[in-house]
Amino acid sequence: MLLNRILNFFTSLRLTVVCLCVALLLVFIGTLAQVDEGLYNAQNRYFRSLLICWTPKGADWRIPVFPGGYLIGGVLLINLLAAHAKRFQFTKKKIGIFIIHAGIVLLLLGQFATDLLSTESAMRLAEGESKNYSESGRESELVFIDVSDPKFDQVIAIPQGLLKGGVELRPDKLPFAVRVREFFPNSHLAEAETGVQTAGNHGAGANLVAHLLPRVTDMDLRDMPSAIVELISSSGSLGTWLVSTHLENPQTISVGEKSYKMAQRFTRYYKPFSLELLKFSHDLYKGTDTPKNFSSRVHINNPNTGENREVLIYMNNPLRVSGETYYQAGFAPDNDKRVNKVTILQVVRNPGWLTPYFSCVLVALGLIVQFMSHLIGFARKRRTA
Amino acid sequence: MKFLLPTRTSRRSCCWTLWFLLAALLVGCRKEEIQVYKVPKEKVEAVAPTSDATVTSQPHLEWKLPDGWTEHPSQGGMRMATFAIAGKQGQQANAAVIALAPGHDFEVINILRDNAGLSALGEDEMVKLTEEIQIGPSRGKLLDMAGNSSPTNINPRRFLAAVLPTDNRSWFISMTGDDTFVREQKPVFLQFLKSISFHEGGSHSEPTSDRAPISTNVKEVPHTATEPGKTVWNTPATWQEAPPTQMLKAKFLATGDAGTKAEITVSVFPGDVGGPLANVNRWRNQISLSPVGQAELEKVVSPLDVTSGKAMLVDMIGNKSSDGKSRRLIGAIVPQGGRTWFYKMLGDELVVAREKDAFIKFVKNAKPPDAP
Repeated sequence: MLLNRILNFFTSLRLTVVCLCVALLLVFIGTLAQVDEGLYNAQNRYFRSLLICWTPKGADWRIPVFPGGYLIGGVLLINLLAAHAKRFQFTKKKIGIFIIHAGIVLLLLGQFATDLLSTESAMRLAEGESKNYSESGRESELVFIDVSDPKFDQVIAIPQGLLKGGVELRPDKLPFAVRVREFFPNSHLAEAETGVQTAGNHGAGANLVAHLLPRVTDMDLRDMPSAIVELISSSGSLGTWLVSTHLENPQTISVGEKSYKMAQRFTRYYKPFSLELLKFSHDLYKGTDTPKNFSSRVHINNPNTGENREVLIYMNNPLRVSGETYYQAGFAPDNDKRVNKVTILQVVRNPGWLTPYFSCVLVALGLIVQFMSHLIGFARKRRTA
Repeated sequence: MKFLLPTRTSRRSCCWTLWFLLAALLVGCRKEEIQVYKVPKEKVEAVAPTSDATVTSQPHLEWKLPDGWTEHPSQGGMRMATFAIAGKQGQQANAAVIALAPGHDFEVINILRDNAGLSALGEDEMVKLTEEIQIGPSRGKLLDMAGNSSPTNINPRRFLAAVLPTDNRSWFISMTGDDTFVREQKPVFLQFLKSISFHEGGSHSEPTSDRAPISTNVKEVPHTATEPGKTVWNTPATWQEAPPTQMLKAKFLATGDAGTKAEITVSVFPGDVGGPLANVNRWRNQISLSPVGQAELEKVVSPLDVTSGKAMLVDMIGNKSSDGKSRRLIGAIVPQGGRTWFYKMLGDELVVAREKDAFIKFVKNAKPPDAP
């Protein structure tokens, strides 16, 4: 019977062993690949994927050559759960094993949830500056900001994943369609020279050209995306614009009575509160350039909850607020020249952050129960013998 | 190991497990979507950038763009924005918003008058010619000046210059173009002035960098950044520094007789930006020379030793233009720390010839901030 065969396959101990061996190999290959592909790209390709694909040089097709992290982890999880469901009989003797396995299942599920649901971003604050958003270090978005309301701005954000050359997007809240003429995942801009076709006929694109650059793999660098977009209203094309993370200021578009700000920027995550950097301290061991301590004194202000307090963030002492953790992560390269020093706070939202702790407690508890039950049984046997 | 045959209960449990995992996977495969959300208006804060900056904060402006105006966004420096204005019959005018250090309003107006072939005015005379107008929430001054016609442009030009002095700086907003078109656009310009709102400081003042910040895990703190701040150039005395744009690290002007000049620019890009051949041909195109192939490239370029290593130098004279003059271009390509620095001197043949040695010395002595 087919169902029995499937169940036998998924409950097989051999499958567990094969998965563990393949996982070992994957970790080895993925670690080596980080040298050429960079940490972020290698993690996505090898560990955050179902299959690892290979594209022959010059070809535009690809073939799967090895299982990815999601597939191996998923199969291991199914294997563990299925084997338990099939074989487990709840007895007092096996309660420790049950608790250990529950801990491992929780660990696997927790890490899966972390991978899917967690976000990492950074908040860059200069002393005296206050912000209510953090920014992604890698992902960007094309935003149109309706600034007509005096109280708030309405943001229409198109994620980078939707920006592909030739795509036409029609956001409900915009009175025009956005046709992506070209998208450059990493780019540099140059001033257009005489006779060279510019990137657009409005705004920055009227006197600049964008060039495609290879995606960065160095952890010290990041991609700087740009796009050439055409805006099309019901009465026809409004023109083409160059949008880029290289450009400092948003561009203004007027359609009828309304004005919109348009910008390609690193994806923002808005908060219900604001953080103001009061002081960034950077202490060195006397007479050396070796850091002793970095810390940021911030003021948190949440008008919704009335929270209004000062917090000192330093190494191993992050700020935990509204389900997010703010770590002291870095500072501006030119801080020594700045009047207002700049701090970089890493902002991590991880709904599954407690699962590793619970998993470890469960596994430890299971081990204690299992060993103690054996020890007690052994001691009883010795006493009776 | 002896496996037990699956019972009905265990089979059901396995099915439930599979469904649960499938659901988890589907939840995980979230499709990217366009998001619409409301945020409070951004508060603007006064944050001083670096200690060598001349102003304490970068201002941030908002305005309502009139119909027919096209905005060219800020390229950094004093010029906050420029606008191209096109008329229905093809007339053209330009407008600009410039932030000046306080007390330079009249000098700038006299520069504008000089460009228009008008004589300079004293402060008293200028005050008499101004009219009061509304600029954003404040009262400013407007000068409406008609220029003289020139042999190259028989249409007289007109200049509108609005000035608003504030505590930290003076705002200078101008419109220039053909006399009749600027007259026609004057009410639109006045309306544009009214729509401007000024904010000191702002979150848009810091340009986004492709470089990561310094991690607090570093064992030693670098003294000045790996990312350049403002490079100090060893500039020849005959060159005049011009405000750099966002795409240029530095810009200088060297002038000769009878209004001839050469422009010296420095720019930097990541990678090799297409390699020497593509860049030499790009430069050749600028002086109307046909492109060369890889074989001819070696004849065109010569090696140059610079502080940071080896560089390539090209010296090319362009074809004569309609006025019988040739333009000359001397360029240096300097690969440095994964990036390429481009030094270029382009302009009148005689001025470039005169400045050649100074240019080569300038390139040789230039030390980019990430040089070893």
